[in-house]
Amino acid sequence: MIADFEYFAPKTVEEALSLLSQYKEAKIIAGGQSLLVVLKQRLLTPEYLIDIKGISALDYINYDESKGLRVGALTLHRTIEKSPVIQKHFGVLSEMEKNLATIQTRNWGTIGGNLCHGDPAGDPASVLIALNANLKLASSAGERTISMEEFSKDYLEVDLKSGEMLIEIQVPTPPARTGTAYEKLMVMKGDMGIIGAAVSVTLSGKDGVCQDARIALGSAASIPLRAKEAEGKLMGKVLSDSLLIEAGEAAAAETDPPVDVHGSPEYRREMVKVFVRRVAQIALEKAKAA
Amino acid sequence: MGETFGDYAVLGKKMPRVDARLKVTGQAKYAADYDLPHMLWGQIKRSPYPHARILNIDTSKAEKLPGVKAVTTGKDFNGFKWGWSGPTRDEEPFATTKVRYQYEGVAAVAAIDQDIADEACDLIEVDYEPLPGVFDPFEAMKEGAPLVHEDRPENICVEYHWDFGDVDKAFAESHLVREDTFQTPRMAKGYIEPPAVVAYWADDSHVVFQGAKGSPYFPYRILAKCFNLPLSNIRVIQPFIGSDFGGTKNDMVHCDFAAPMLAKKTGRPVKLVYTQFDELTTCLRRHPMWVTVKTGVTKEGILTATSLKVIADGGAYTRMSPLTMFLVGTCMTLPYKLPNFKYDAYNYFTNNPSSAAMRGHGLYHSRFAADVQLEMIAEELGLDPVEIRLKNSIENPKPGEVYETVNEVHVASCGMQECIEKVAEAVNWKKVKGHKKVEGEKAYGMGFAAATYNSGTKLSAHNACAAIVRICEDGSVNYLTGASDVGQGSDTVTCAIAAEVLGIGLDDIDLKRVDTAFTPVDPGSYGSRVTVLAGQAARNAALDAKRQLLEVAAKQFEVKPEDVEIKNKQVFVKSNPEKNMPWWKLVRIACYDTPGKVIIGRGYSTQGISMYGLADFSKGVGDIGTNYSFTAQANEVEVDVETGVVRCTDNSVIAHDCGFPLNPQAVETQCQGGAYHQGIAAALYEEFKMDKGQTLNPNFIDYKRPRANEAPMSKVIHVLTNDPYGPYGAKEASEGSTCSAPPAIINAIHNATGIWIKDLPAQPEKLFWALKEKREKDKGKK
Amino acid sequence: MKGELKELKLTVNGKPYEFKVKPQTLLVDLLRQELKLTGTKIGCLDSACGACTVHIDGKAVRSCSVLAMQANGRKVTTIEGVADGDKLHPIQEAMVEHGAIECGFCTPGMVMSSKALLDENPNPTREEIREAIQGNLCADEGYVKYIEAVEIAAEKMRGGQ
Repeated sequence: MIADFEYFAPKTVEEALSLLSQYKEAKIIAGGQSLLVVLKQRLLTPEYLIDIKGISALDYINYDESKGLRVGALTLHRTIEKSPVIQKHFGVLSEMEKNLATIQTRNWGTIGGNLCHGDPAGDPASVLIALNANLKLASSAGERTISMEEFSKDYLEVDLKSGEMLIEIQVPTPPARTGTAYEKLMVMKGDMGIIGAAVSVTLSGKDGVCQDARIALGSAASIPLRAKEAEGKLMGKVLSDSLLIEAGEAAAAETDPPVDVHGSPEYRREMVKVFVRRVAQIALEKAKAA
Repeated sequence: MGETFGDYAVLGKKMPRVDARLKVTGQAKYAADYDLPHMLWGQIKRSPYPHARILNIDTSKAEKLPGVKAVTTGKDFNGFKWGWSGPTRDEEPFATTKVRYQYEGVAAVAAIDQDIADEACDLIEVDYEPLPGVFDPFEAMKEGAPLVHEDRPENICVEYHWDFGDVDKAFAESHLVREDTFQTPRMAKGYIEPPAVVAYWADDSHVVFQGAKGSPYFPYRILAKCFNLPLSNIRVIQPFIGSDFGGTKNDMVHCDFAAPMLAKKTGRPVKLVYTQFDELTTCLRRHPMWVTVKTGVTKEGILTATSLKVIADGGAYTRMSPLTMFLVGTCMTLPYKLPNFKYDAYNYFTNNPSSAAMRGHGLYHSRFAADVQLEMIAEELGLDPVEIRLKNSIENPKPGEVYETVNEVHVASCGMQECIEKVAEAVNWKKVKGHKKVEGEKAYGMGFAAATYNSGTKLSAHNACAAIVRICEDGSVNYLTGASDVGQGSDTVTCAIAAEVLGIGLDDIDLKRVDTAFTPVDPGSYGSRVTVLAGQAARNAALDAKRQLLEVAAKQFEVKPEDVEIKNKQVFVKSNPEKNMPWWKLVRIACYDTPGKVIIGRGYSTQGISMYGLADFSKGVGDIGTNYSFTAQANEVEVDVETGVVRCTDNSVIAHDCGFPLNPQAVETQCQGGAYHQGIAAALYEEFKMDKGQTLNPNFIDYKRPRANEAPMSKVIHVLTNDPYGPYGAKEASEGSTCSAPPAIINAIHNATGIWIKDLPAQPEKLFWALKEKREKDKGKK
Repeated sequence: MKGELKELKLTVNGKPYEFKVKPQTLLVDLLRQELKLTGTKIGCLDSACGACTVHIDGKAVRSCSVLAMQANGRKVTTIEGVADGDKLHPIQEAMVEHGAIECGFCTPGMVMSSKALLDENPNPTREEIREAIQGNLCADEGYVKYIEAVEIAAEKMRGGQ
């Protein structure tokens, strides 16, 4: 079913990077939960496959208040979901993972694999944008850091240059009085969202004015979309119900939703209005409680 | 639930299924699990066009590929055509002159492994001349539309016009007449096991076929004709089957012809396994139908007349559409009294994969429309939805009496009223009705529906159904059946019947699955017929074996055979139980006392055939079933009024009249499943989206299937009516719940939100626009 | 080299095995074709149906979506490794007793997913049971009796009746 390829299973990051620089056309497989579907259908027929699942050094969750959260690219979805550290300090990531596909997928699939697949319907990307996360990429030439937002270039296309691989996800400790939430429109639990909305709001300590707002949308464009106009509606204001509605409407206007069997662009825009409002409300409540 | 019924030793009680252990340990072998020495792997070459002439097929490159052992095309079958019945033989094993739906097969390959077989198919070069196609009935019916079959003018596959009573007069005299059009979606059968087959030739005139076929005697007959062999040379051996639902696994698909042909050419076993993609793009689907129902009622809400017009998309070949369109109409006169009825049915050929049976065959479309419309009528007249149904329901005929509908359908038992009353009581209807519950953006509503389904289907030329009970010398019993358990539990129930008759335990019966070399014939698993008809065959075969044993016992005890009974594996004289012996001893005496008997009981079903004659499809008269089940259902839904997402809550009750639940636990499982998978799925989730013959969502992610998180924990109430025509009073179980679930859901959505979704499925976007429209309309009114 | 066979060492149902496989071999094909463990089923191509569910190191995964090579050095359990000889696991027993099994095609996957749940969480809520089998499609049975059977098994395993 899957076309022949030459197979490598490096055990360290150095080995992997060396292989990547040697075989410029190589495809990386982590958990394979996205890639194998594509390979089985022969939508991709790579000559070289570098299996990095065995690089245990990239499976970690580290946190300290100053540096924030550092998650190795090969950390399983299920590990993130269940991590007490993440549940305590970055609860939205654990909540997001609970509805990511089903347990079987989360038991083998990795956060890095999900992000590098570059599907705008993917859950982690929009949450990480809302959390102002950065990604650390490495090649045999060195390392670089890029924001989650900039990593997404187009539908199924990410900013991974030849010879590069994702090694770490870095989430800064949110400022005080910040709340982040994520919800997606599902018909059934675990569905890819018809749309998804991740919202982060930071309130100023004194007067409860919104100091910062970040809104990222899934399945609303060819990449996870940062809804800057919508954010503008919230910044510097006290967040009222009507303001949240306005933000939803602004966000909807910024979208360029895909055309597929799950929902028309018009419906998706309407749902962006609903979800931005709902999720912002939850984020606001979290921020007030923080 | 969990109760026992009747006063039987085995029946009416909890009985673990005879095959459950094999299934739960992974030992049960399905068609794709078979592995034979020297086996080859097959693959099918398919057309990328939905409608095209085949100009040339060049298999030379494929034949040269190392590892390829044989190639076959339609030409190898010498013009053989097959179909569901004599007049409908319009389909070839592989298309020869033109293809009529996308991915229709034109050739097949056998090779030493799957990868080489796949590669070889890519090397087969086919020249096509694409033709314009028709992709729904409305395109198909246009004047001058391209013809799917040149010899079928106007693309009409089936057309019926029935007329009973005087519908127009009744409308004129009605207090209220309303007409509504409903739409049912194009659906997959949905079984998880894709079709698969392993075939080989024992010698050059005996073929062995092990395929996932729910009605093995279909391929038995069709392969005999196809390969020009007597029936006795066709051996169909039944593996375990991963469901059928009346669909593809009844009827032949390409692999069923390819595997035996390739096996013949190579002299080796050939295995051909479909992928789920093959299944979802090419295999049989539930017809999408446009159902216009016009109904008249009196001021009190009593039905006066119904006129039903149905347009259906039959797909590329006839298959069993004549039966489908008959079923859509036949039970419009059930479960409510209907004195005047008119039916106009049009089933069209289109360049889509063929449509055929699916659980709730036919009736699901029309009962959905009728029962939602009845709800609309109740609302218009200000009547209670439960009351209006009770008023109109057919009463349970008294013993010895039969209710006859205007189209000569005969009902000897009808638990409709009791089902409705029990469900209403279970959900506390008096309290919940009209009581709208809204919590934030969620609205809750309860919907009610009633339905019927025919049971013990009997069709012309396909009714012979038999069983054999063989008593082994040590007292163990072989039960040989022609019937197929596709998951509905028929193996268990027929063995249980045999055990009940013989006075032994279910554990003492060993089922011998279908092997047409040894098992007697049976029409197959469709039309809810197995329990009723194969059950009767089981009973008769066991009675025959018992009679032979009682003769021996009578001699031993020096009494008459009718004075002897067998219970709990004890053989005893009724009037003097002191005279007894254990079962095994009687069998031993029978088999060993010189010269030794061979105790084989044979029985076949006579039920239903001799009753009122067979149904007449074109006139619409007569019984297609031996008896009829009745189901009432109430479902609560939660509607997110901002997004349109609908979810069933656990508040779900089904009352099902299956006459007598031979295996109560299985009836419950079947009803819960029928309601959810084939009923609620149609109401809320499933639909093939098509674009000019191409299936846009041929996978279980984009084609949504019902899952565990969203499953309502439906309670099932058993209603007993002890039908005189079913074994031990039994009728079919659960296809009624397939038919009652969709209207219950749609009525519940209306109850929660005030909107009517008339075209299934009620996917969120549909609700969203309908709710928006309603809000704007309501605003405008203020 | 393309298509070169790779060495694979893994334990399946407690037994160690060594293979030389094409690297693109899926775990499900290794189990079904090399080891003839046909209890694990193939129902789809899209990681949607869960009929192929097995355990790798005790965690439920879809064997159709795992390269066999990734099971190198790991412990795989299939449905054939659940019962203890003739003695059924309480989950299997409950499914049989409670009438949860119909055509049986999804059953091995259901057992594997629910066993993984109970191995980790002996006292799951109904919601957690639903979540555990959300990745397992059934077309027959409505999930009701599967959910109830797991509840019954969990109670039995905790020492109740």
